[in-house]
Amino acid sequence: MPFDLIARRILFAVPTLFGVAVIVFALGYLAPGDPALAALGLTSEGYTSFDAAEVERVRAELGLDQPGYVRFAEWLGGALVGDLGRSYVQPFAVSDLIGRALPVTLLLIAGTMTLAIVIGVPLGIVSAVWQGRWGDYLARVIAILGVSTPTFWLALILILVLAYTFPIFPISASLERDGPIALVLPILAIATHPAALIARMMRASMLEVLAQDYIRTATAKGLSAYRVVMTHALRNAINPVITVIGFQFGNLIGSAVAVEQIFALPGMGSLLIGAIYDKDVLVTQGVVLAIALVFILANLIVDLLYTLIDPRIRL
Amino acid sequence: MARELTRHEATDLAPAPGGGFADSLRRFLEDRLNLISTALALALIAAALLAPVISPYPPDLVAPESQWQGPSWDHWMGTDQYGRDVLSRVLYGARVSLFVGIVTVVLAMLIGVGLGALAGYLGRVADEILMRVVDVFMSIPGIVLALAIVGLLGPSLTNIIIALAIYRIAQFARVTRGSVLSVMAQDYIGACRAIGMGGRRIILLHVLPNCIGPIIVLATVLLGNVILTEATLSFLGMGIQPPTASWGVMIADGNEYLMFAPWISIFPGIFLLLTMMAFNLLGDGLRDHFDPRGRSVL
Repeated sequence: MPFDLIARRILFAVPTLFGVAVIVFALGYLAPGDPALAALGLTSEGYTSFDAAEVERVRAELGLDQPGYVRFAEWLGGALVGDLGRSYVQPFAVSDLIGRALPVTLLLIAGTMTLAIVIGVPLGIVSAVWQGRWGDYLARVIAILGVSTPTFWLALILILVLAYTFPIFPISASLERDGPIALVLPILAIATHPAALIARMMRASMLEVLAQDYIRTATAKGLSAYRVVMTHALRNAINPVITVIGFQFGNLIGSAVAVEQIFALPGMGSLLIGAIYDKDVLVTQGVVLAIALVFILANLIVDLLYTLIDPRIRL
Repeated sequence: MARELTRHEATDLAPAPGGGFADSLRRFLEDRLNLISTALALALIAAALLAPVISPYPPDLVAPESQWQGPSWDHWMGTDQYGRDVLSRVLYGARVSLFVGIVTVVLAMLIGVGLGALAGYLGRVADEILMRVVDVFMSIPGIVLALAIVGLLGPSLTNIIIALAIYRIAQFARVTRGSVLSVMAQDYIGACRAIGMGGRRIILLHVLPNCIGPIIVLATVLLGNVILTEATLSFLGMGIQPPTASWGVMIADGNEYLMFAPWISIFPGIFLLLTMMAFNLLGDGLRDHFDPRGRSVL
């Protein structure tokens, strides 16, 4: 792997991240309501002249009396060294909150991705090899349903079926108390959509490869169908699938937001929703920035992986 | 012109024969899957438009004596915690979903296609700047960006539509720019320039009409996608606010009574699923229709 290539890609990501920072900060800046009131645990209705001095003090303490560009520069400068400020509501630094939530979400996504690949790739291969037969139709119907099922709704259905009706999984499992079993239903819910997408992509890509001359040659050589598919076709068909997997990362984070909320998993999604409800602007900004950073990194890794698998591709 | 057109290219460039649209539509509907998805989408639109006529009850009619009733002849999809008829609310919910979906997609399409066409046509600095901005918006997952916008600026209908549209503007801009670039490389655009045609006329009359396929496909797929995102936002309490009947709000309502009144969540979810399926399949069908060699990714 050429290092200048990696360096160049990372360099390209810098202006994008800066742009994200501008947007994220602007949203917080434009937000109605006074963060100083939120920090004091007050709503604007409960705000009386009695508190004015105190509010002013907190506002100065939080740097809210500074002009926007100064606040942006300070926020960005802090972000560069991992300091995203302190939560207005909880007694923690934003980076600590993210540090605790991010591993949960990453674990969730890693599990989801693994399951989606394990289900999607074979489903797509079977569908392509059996093209036009009932197995193909069944696999395609499953894939269409999987692509179209709303993730957050599926999560509720899974709870209903696999926790209430057939109590196979605990209804409310906590990651700390019960361990990985708490992740099973969330992963099932989130994985359905990407598994279906991967299956559809795998099928289309495989069909294209199976029509190539060198596959006919391999078959003519007397190789077993299994070997033709698994060694000759799969290697050539897998690239577009990897692209889809990479593109899915952002969607997965999106699905995770709602699903974490449903299963009360303490990940980035729950942190984001909680911060939005609490009007905790710094936490909201920090979480969105961190998610964008992870997203950009993930795309970078997929791009590099792509060149590794297919040396013909130059970035 | 640098070279003569091959016969194949010449036929490609020939104007569609008379009755082109009807012909094209018939060919599209010959595929059974396209027929099903078109029928499903039309049924959904009809349900939304006719909701005031076909709903058995007013969607907000509170009837405490009939709360939590299971599906029956009186209430086909049961009733919710306030005794409101789930079927009626699902039908009215379709109005909300489709309204938000269509307004968002049209808004995003107008802006995104304009920006994308401009970037593709002008090239150089304008293109570079616009594409970097698109990169920025596309590196925040759509729902996270929408949550941040609605969460920080407040969940008004306008904010919801803006939040949903911004990410899609970037998608439309990217797709349009790509198509414009490939059309601009064609000889006939050079010919337009050679005969002294102005930039605006070239874009509007010759470039964009030839980019319409991918744009229609994207719009169709995004319609389903926007409806899903709106439902997710509403489910999380950051979208359409109760008591307005919206599928996301209804599913969230039912979440609390999942154990003994699951129908409150199940039915709006099924409608959401069917909507997604209709627009996904329609998008697939249109993609194959416009570009038979292309591969369906969704």
